[in-house]
Amino acid sequence: MMNNIRNFSIIAHIDHGKSTLADRMIQHCNLVSDREFKDQILDSMAIERERGITIKSQTICLPFTAKDGKLYTLNLIDTPGHVDFSYEVSRALTSCEGALLLIDAAQGVEAQTLANLYLAMDNDLEIIPVINKIDLPSAEPETVALQIDEDLGLDSELVQFCSAKTGKGVTEILEAIVQLLPPPEGDPASQLQALIFDADYDPFRGTIISIRVINGTVKPRDIIRFMSNGREYKVEEVGLFKLSREPQKQLSAGQVGYILAGIKTVEDTRPGDTITLKDDPCSEPLAGFKKVQQVVFSSIYPIATDEYEDLAAALEKLKLNDAALTFEKDSSVALGFGFRCGFLGLLHLEVIQERLEREFDIALILTVPSVQYTFLLADGTEKKVDNPAHFPDPSHIDRIEEPFIKATILIPERYMGVVMTLCMDRRGENTNFHYPMPGRIEFQCELPLAEVIYDFYDRLKSVTQGYGSFDYEMIDYRKSDLVKLDILVNGEIVDALSQLVHRNNARARGLHACEMLKEEIPRQMFKIAIQAAIGGTIIGRTNVSAMRKDVTAKCYGGDITRKRKLLEKQKAGKKRMKTVGNVDIPQNAFLSVLKSDQ
Amino acid sequence: MASLYLHIPFCKTKCCYCDFNSSAGKEALYEPYLAALEREIAGMAIEGNRGALATLFIGGGTPTVLTSAQLVHLIKQVEGLFGFTGDIEITLEANPGTVRESDLIALREGGVNRLSFGVQSFNDQELCILGRCHTCREAEQAVRAAHQAGFKNINLDLMYGLPGQDGDSWQRSLDTAISLTPKHLSLYQLTIEPATPLEGYIDTGNLSLPDEDEILEMDAVTDQFCQETGMKKYEISNYAELGFECRHNINYWRNREYFAAGAGSVSYLKGVRDKRVADPAQYIDLINRGGSAVVESEELSQEASFRETVVMGLRMTQGVSLRELYDRYTIDLKEHYGDTLSRLIGLLLLRLTEDRLHITEKGFPLANRIMAELV
Ligand SMILES: Nc1nc2c(ncn2[C@@H]2O[C@H](COP(=O)(O)OP(=O)(O)OP(=O)(O)O)[C@@H](O)[C@H]2O)c(=O)[nH]1
Ligand code: SF4
Ligand SMILES: [Mg+2]
Repeated sequence: MMNNIRNFSIIAHIDHGKSTLADRMIQHCNLVSDREFKDQILDSMAIERERGITIKSQTICLPFTAKDGKLYTLNLIDTPGHVDFSYEVSRALTSCEGALLLIDAAQGVEAQTLANLYLAMDNDLEIIPVINKIDLPSAEPETVALQIDEDLGLDSELVQFCSAKTGKGVTEILEAIVQLLPPPEGDPASQLQALIFDADYDPFRGTIISIRVINGTVKPRDIIRFMSNGREYKVEEVGLFKLSREPQKQLSAGQVGYILAGIKTVEDTRPGDTITLKDDPCSEPLAGFKKVQQVVFSSIYPIATDEYEDLAAALEKLKLNDAALTFEKDSSVALGFGFRCGFLGLLHLEVIQERLEREFDIALILTVPSVQYTFLLADGTEKKVDNPAHFPDPSHIDRIEEPFIKATILIPERYMGVVMTLCMDRRGENTNFHYPMPGRIEFQCELPLAEVIYDFYDRLKSVTQGYGSFDYEMIDYRKSDLVKLDILVNGEIVDALSQLVHRNNARARGLHACEMLKEEIPRQMFKIAIQAAIGGTIIGRTNVSAMRKDVTAKCYGGDITRKRKLLEKQKAGKKRMKTVGNVDIPQNAFLSVLKSDQ
Repeated sequence: MASLYLHIPFCKTKCCYCDFNSSAGKEALYEPYLAALEREIAGMAIEGNRGALATLFIGGGTPTVLTSAQLVHLIKQVEGLFGFTGDIEITLEANPGTVRESDLIALREGGVNRLSFGVQSFNDQELCILGRCHTCREAEQAVRAAHQAGFKNINLDLMYGLPGQDGDSWQRSLDTAISLTPKHLSLYQLTIEPATPLEGYIDTGNLSLPDEDEILEMDAVTDQFCQETGMKKYEISNYAELGFECRHNINYWRNREYFAAGAGSVSYLKGVRDKRVADPAQYIDLINRGGSAVVESEELSQEASFRETVVMGLRMTQGVSLRELYDRYTIDLKEHYGDTLSRLIGLLLLRLTEDRLHITEKGFPLANRIMAELV
């Protein structure tokens, strides 16, 4: 029966059409009626639909009858393309034997095409290159096929051509999957070894564990054991991911599916862990996942201080579904108790913020994101700092180092100049480049991570008119001239607005913060001074003038209810603000400071 | 003491800033509306437990689109049903473009003893911008006629902060107003109400409002004017010679009970605020079917009502009485507001004397800010 299973991921650069291809396959396999169908059906989170991008990998199990007349079970995992979510891709790949590498026929090979290809190769997966969007007038399938050959070193014989939009070529791809990708291996009769590759939380059923069974079989009423912590649970249900969960009698070696075991203790389930059976355990856990490195850190505070406990519980649940998130307790004079969180990038941070606000209904304030610096202190000790609140006493600092990355940027040759300028503006070093094929440049540059996390990708997109793409890896730490920039509101430092910045950028950042705050802090009954300072030195200032008139002229018998409600709204608005000294600062003011200055 | 408000939802033309429940061109509804109104009042009076009226306010809209005979008949109806106290205050809102001296005499004789004229401005250009249906000469004539007819207690409504208006023009309107010897002035800063034509003109940039500095200058003009003329501010927008404060409106600001009848009108009885359907045709229909025209009801908790009473009371310069509030709600104001109160007092926005809490002169321009903390 394993011979009829194919487990594969669709991987690609962002927007190359993974989710759309998944749509066509789902429709081809009649998993959804036309009435229920919607575009990018696997992008089920509100934030995914709004932004039109995939954030979470999604698994779907498709019954497919091939030309050979046999019925196959295809476990498709649609993955995200954005660089911040490559950890999602890498986890998805551990439960597959193969991958479809999608390439936009008009865009060609881009940075995450390469990055995701390498991830698939690391996992020894069989790869089928697919050139998508051949319906576009600007499509150049032959050129892209050449890139696949020369740039990627893949066998161009295997290339499939398709339009995920029109459905052309989709049947051929499904046939190729059946013929070219190997079925899973493993022994259904041996001890259970199942890899947890994802999880989610359901308030009624508890944790929903996504597993790939490597060996053995699991069924309801089995007692399973998590190998990392020894916790044991009785299985209530196992099943497959159809468009909704579909219970099965059992899951066995080679299959991808889910387990429900009434698990309400959220932290027991850890993606990467191995599940076995209590009564007949396997001897070794599976290799699990590489530890992921968070690159930006920011503190999250609930606007209502009494929501701290709710926030803690929400983060636990989110972590289950987003293994890349880290958090620990933090506190601020201005904002009270919160959490210092680590993220894989700024988009990841935004996603977490939005999910907390939407799925858990907690209004938040975030502090300015920072990378992690190394402080070498006069007494010879070393300290990692990502939080401005922990900035050591300047007189004790011997040397500060900041993380550097190596950026790989793929561009058509004509954008070389503007990209070079952009990298130099961002303190880039050691640039070099080569031509993987005529007309295209692979440009490499070493850059401080701090210069990249903000808006580098947006800027790159805009200076290259959408043709540039980039990927990066951490390389080392290098000496930096770092200062702590403080923001004062009516003379008081608002600790949550402090940030760590390179001295060269401090003034611009300070002024930017002052300007943004001026826009966002509503006028109050007195004048508000906003200042930016390094140490004790003021480097920028603005004012919010006093509100001098705010009166409802008329209020008679018929108006009372309406006018009272307006006042109540005004009051509620004030409640959503944080009071520092006697100044009310709205949530947006905190968020505005995070926005880039361009 | 009982109060009754009657709403007449009709006007000759619709002013461009107006979001009151009133419409023009519905002359055919006048008769059936009056009939329905009298029917509603009769029903209300039967419910009993009402006592003689101490104040009656006929507002709109423009009540004077009706004939004096119709209005006098209405008043007589009410008197028959409720009874009037000896010193009842009967206010009628009048539009200077709709009254003749003969009507005024009839109304005076019919019991109206307080006339409130919606003059808005004594500058023709400003009147035109507001879409008012009268000129300032007509307004002056109407007020003189009212004096002639024997009205002792006349109010003029004026607006400031109008597009194109400045301190001088405001001063001239005030000067003209006072030359007509009113006992009461309502001076409203223009509010741009949503979905009015005026909002459209402002949004599209066809008209622009004075900025905050200019508004504050007009406020200063008003203050100076009051000092010179002896008009005393007793509520955010209301000024009167001593003893001529509007008792009907004070009743609202004290958040006391009142009856109401007519389309869109709101009554407040036994803690329940009832709002009637706004559309006059629907109103007529509902009443004629023998039912109630009430479409919204609100009853606040003790505490919310307390807070509402405080906020309403603070609109008046005399503010609220702590003892009265305690007697009514058994809530101690100082305890209830705690630090918020001390802070506002510390900022010199509120003042607490032995028994009264009131907004200071410094606080009045920021009244909403203060109230938003107390509501
Ligand atoms: N013309 C054309 N447009 C396509 C085709 N496939 C996808 N698109 C469009 O490309 C855009 C991105 O498609 P998605 O399927 O969301 O891309 P994705 O690779 O899943 O994107 P991420 O998940 O964010 O990485 C959408 O607007 C699609 O409608 C195609 O074959 N032809
Ligand atoms: S007269 Fe008064 S009620 Fe009638 S439209 Fe003008 S402002 Fe509105
Ligand atoms: Mg997608």
